[in-house]
Formats: sequence, C-alpha cells, structure tokens
Amino acid sequence: MEASNQVAIVGYAQSPVRRHADQTLGGLTVETARRAIEDAGLTLSQMDGFVTASLFPTAGAHAAEDGVSLVSANWLAEHLQINPNYAAGFQGFGQIPGAVSMAVNAVMSGAADYVLVHRALHNPQGSYHANPIQEARGSQQWTVPQGYFGPVAMIALAYNEYLQRYGATRDAMAAVVSEARKNGARVPWSYWFEKPLSAEEYLAAPMINDPICRFDCDLPVDGVAAFVFTSAERARDLQHRPVYVAGYATGAPVTRRLPLHWPLDDIMDVGAETGRRLWDRSGVRPSEVDLPQVYDGFSPFVYFWIESLGFCPVGEAHRLVLDGGIDSDRPGALPVLSGGGALGNGRMHGVPQMLECYLQLSGRAGERQRQDASIGVACHSSPHFGGAVVYSAHQF
Amino acid sequence: MPVPDEQSAPFWAAAAEHVLVLARCSRCGDFNHPPDLTCPHCGSTDPAFVFTPVDGTGTIRSWTVMRQSFLPGFEEPFVLVDVELQAQGDLRMIGRLVDGPDAAINVGSAVSIVFEDIAPRVSVPAFTLSPNP
Repeated sequence: MEASNQVAIVGYAQSPVRRHADQTLGGLTVETARRAIEDAGLTLSQMDGFVTASLFPTAGAHAAEDGVSLVSANWLAEHLQINPNYAAGFQGFGQIPGAVSMAVNAVMSGAADYVLVHRALHNPQGSYHANPIQEARGSQQWTVPQGYFGPVAMIALAYNEYLQRYGATRDAMAAVVSEARKNGARVPWSYWFEKPLSAEEYLAAPMINDPICRFDCDLPVDGVAAFVFTSAERARDLQHRPVYVAGYATGAPVTRRLPLHWPLDDIMDVGAETGRRLWDRSGVRPSEVDLPQVYDGFSPFVYFWIESLGFCPVGEAHRLVLDGGIDSDRPGALPVLSGGGALGNGRMHGVPQMLECYLQLSGRAGERQRQDASIGVACHSSPHFGGAVVYSAHQF
Repeated sequence: MPVPDEQSAPFWAAAAEHVLVLARCSRCGDFNHPPDLTCPHCGSTDPAFVFTPVDGTGTIRSWTVMRQSFLPGFEEPFVLVDVELQAQGDLRMIGRLVDGPDAAINVGSAVSIVFEDIAPRVSVPAFTLSPNP
C-alpha cells in the first residue's frame, strides 16, 4: 500500500470510562478532543480534518441524537469552532479501522494536514438492548416474531456453532475473559480498574443466551477517545514518538442473511479474506506481530480474530488460550488482550485495542510499558464484518 | 407481531394456513430468504419473486437457549434454532424449537416446520425435532 508508514498517530486523549458520565457526551467529547490536540503539541487552529464513525450501537428503543447519544465529526468541529477542510464519517462496520483508514487517506491525499479521529460511546439510561417493540416491520418481520433479536442472540448462535464444531469448552473462555479483566484492572481510566474477574466467577455466572453469559459481553459505558493523525514528515517535528499506520483492511460479507444472522462459516470465510488483505497491504507477517490486540466486544470474537489473522490454525484458538497461551505477563505468549480490550475497559468499541497499540509503540504506556513491542495490530468488530489496522513503531 | 408489507403479504397469508412459502426468483428459480430488492443468486434487479411452497424439513446448524430475549411477550426460557432447509443449500431460517430447552439437540438434528398461532389469523413458523428414522 502506497500509504504504508506515511501517516502516523502523534497524540491522543482518553476520557475516564464510566457507566454514566457526569457530563454530556458532547461536552466530554469536546474536552477530550482539546486534550488530544494539546497532547500532540498542536493548536486548535492547526486542526483541519475530523473523522469518526458515530454509530450508536444499541438494539434498544433509544433516540440517536447528535451531541447527546452520539457525536459526529461535523458536530465536534462545529463545537470546537473550527471550519475544517475535511469532515467525514465512516458508515460501515469496523468503525475504528474504518475511521482510521479515512484519516490516513485524508492526510495522504492532502485533504487535511492534521486529522482528529474520535469515538464517543454513550450508555443511555435504562436497559441498553431491551426493546418494547410490538410490531415487527421490514426486515425485522423475519426474525423478531420468532424471538430472535439483538446482538447477544446473534453471537450465541455463532459461538455455539464453534463450541460444537471444535469441542471447545467454557473453561477455555474463562481464561480469555479473566485475562481481559486482569489487564483492564491495571488501566486507570477503565471502568474495571482494580476489578479483576476470576475464572471461577466467570463460570458461575448465569446464561443470557446460551452459551453467552454476561461476562462474555462488554459493558455499555460513556467514554470518549481521540487521536491526532498527520504525515510522517510533519510528525518528526512533534513532541511524541510517532506510531505509523503500516496498513489496514476491512471486510463485509456478501451472502444475504436474515438480520443479525452471522453463521460461523461466514465469519471465518470472509475473515480469512480480511486477514489476507491486512497482511498484503501492510507487508507484515503474523509472526512479526508482537502486539496483537484482538477485538472482544463479545468474547468469542477473540477466537475468531486469532484464527482469521493466522495466529493459530482455524479451530485451535480455544486450545491456544489455555495454559497461559495469551497471558500478557508470560514471555513468549501471544498478548492479545494486553490492553484489556472491551471486556476489560467497557464498550469503547475498538478503542482499547487501538490505544494499547499507540501507547506501547510510542513508549507511553507507563507502568504497563512492554519492552519488546514494535508491531501491533488493532482489530474491531467481527473478522467478517469489521477490520484491523497494523501499527508500527518504525517506518519500514 | 409481524406486520406484512406488499412484498411479504403472501408469506404471512400462507403461514396463517400453516403452509411455508418462500420467495422464489422468477429469473433463476432460486429461493431467497429474506427476499430483498435484487436476487443474490442471479443478480436480477427485477426478481419478481413468487412465494412458492417449500419442503419445511431441514437440519439444525446451531441453537441457543434464550433466557432473556430483550423483547416483550416471550416466555423465557425458549430455544431458537438456526436451520438449513433441505430445499436449497444454505437456505436458512431461524425459529423457535417448540420441543423446549430440555430436548436433546445436536448440530445436524433433523427438524420440520410447525406453526405457532399467536393471534387470530397470525401464525409464526417454528420447528420441531423430527422423530428418529
């Protein structure tokens, strides 16, 4: 890819991740954006690009209102009192890699010199997904009268298919979830800071939609993150060590399905293509990645990403995670959740994965700093309906 | 409660009679579920779908026990099955398994269509385990 290693992250800010923030989402976003710009050593007047993916990912009956339950790029620019050269939103799935790809392309094309990528997530009052729907219209008429509704049932079907096909057990997933929570408990801004979860606690939790229990699901939160992107050339003059975008890929299925029907074969077939694109565009091989950060908004995505990206053969991730295989504290392990992921931070979508790559590769992870990290991968959503970005500490 | 529209009305009318009909593309003859604006099999932008009776037998590809459905009007727990219909490869439906959470369910278990009457003249397709051959 021509853009490989030509665009870099040069600053960031992350708000506290809370069940409900004590201020408006819009206000929190403006504050976080200002902090990110300052962190990059830039001034507001230098910012000329704004990109986000503003999706409010609830199945519930909640209003989507700009500035209140979501924050668009245009809303943010306006409330920073900036008339930008470029403001845009990514509308597909894999919101974080999608927004990053647009920021990279905006910088490469010259549409903007300094692009702010933000993600603002909101947890409304009341049940996040419950919906008092009485009449199922449009595409919902094919599934809602049957009782099939929402993302928990969606992932339950795919995960059960995996368990049945490969003889996986919930004990293996206990290792995944407790690893995410162990690492999240070390992240000061995380909702789960200092609140790890044991495998025993995981296994004792009641099911929601078998085989998914509540600890397999990330927790809806209020939280905002912002990152500043610019060219590698401009990045040289700024105060922090740049982290380069080596490549990105997204994928989406073409097989027509019922709403929210994600059969395992769709996930893995299209996911394999997402993986091929990612390695091809970034010029990196899976064995060269020392900081893989897989998406875990629902825990089974950890298996799907590990396998789709080729970190182990298909059907074997549930074995890899046992016996310390993904233990971020064990030398030689695959630290796929070292940043805590969504399970260990809260429903920040792909932000924890991206932030961990940025902090570790720029040498800004503080007490959590890893000594050996030079190439990271940040995944988001499902391998077949999402994407990933390869980050590098060095241009190559 | 399903709200039929112009396209789906024949599906729900047949369901009320406990007959499974699915949308068949008039150009290539393949079934589409759910029907959309184009046919994914032949690419026709004018598929002129005709709802045609299909064999309601199939096999279970996956299932889940719904202990919370996030919807009103459902008595939990209930089982949902992801079924591949015999009628065409990868033709899938998701529905309740009326045998309930205690039934012995496996990937590949044979099922057949049944209908649950949820209101006067409104029936929803569901599945039941087929007796062992």
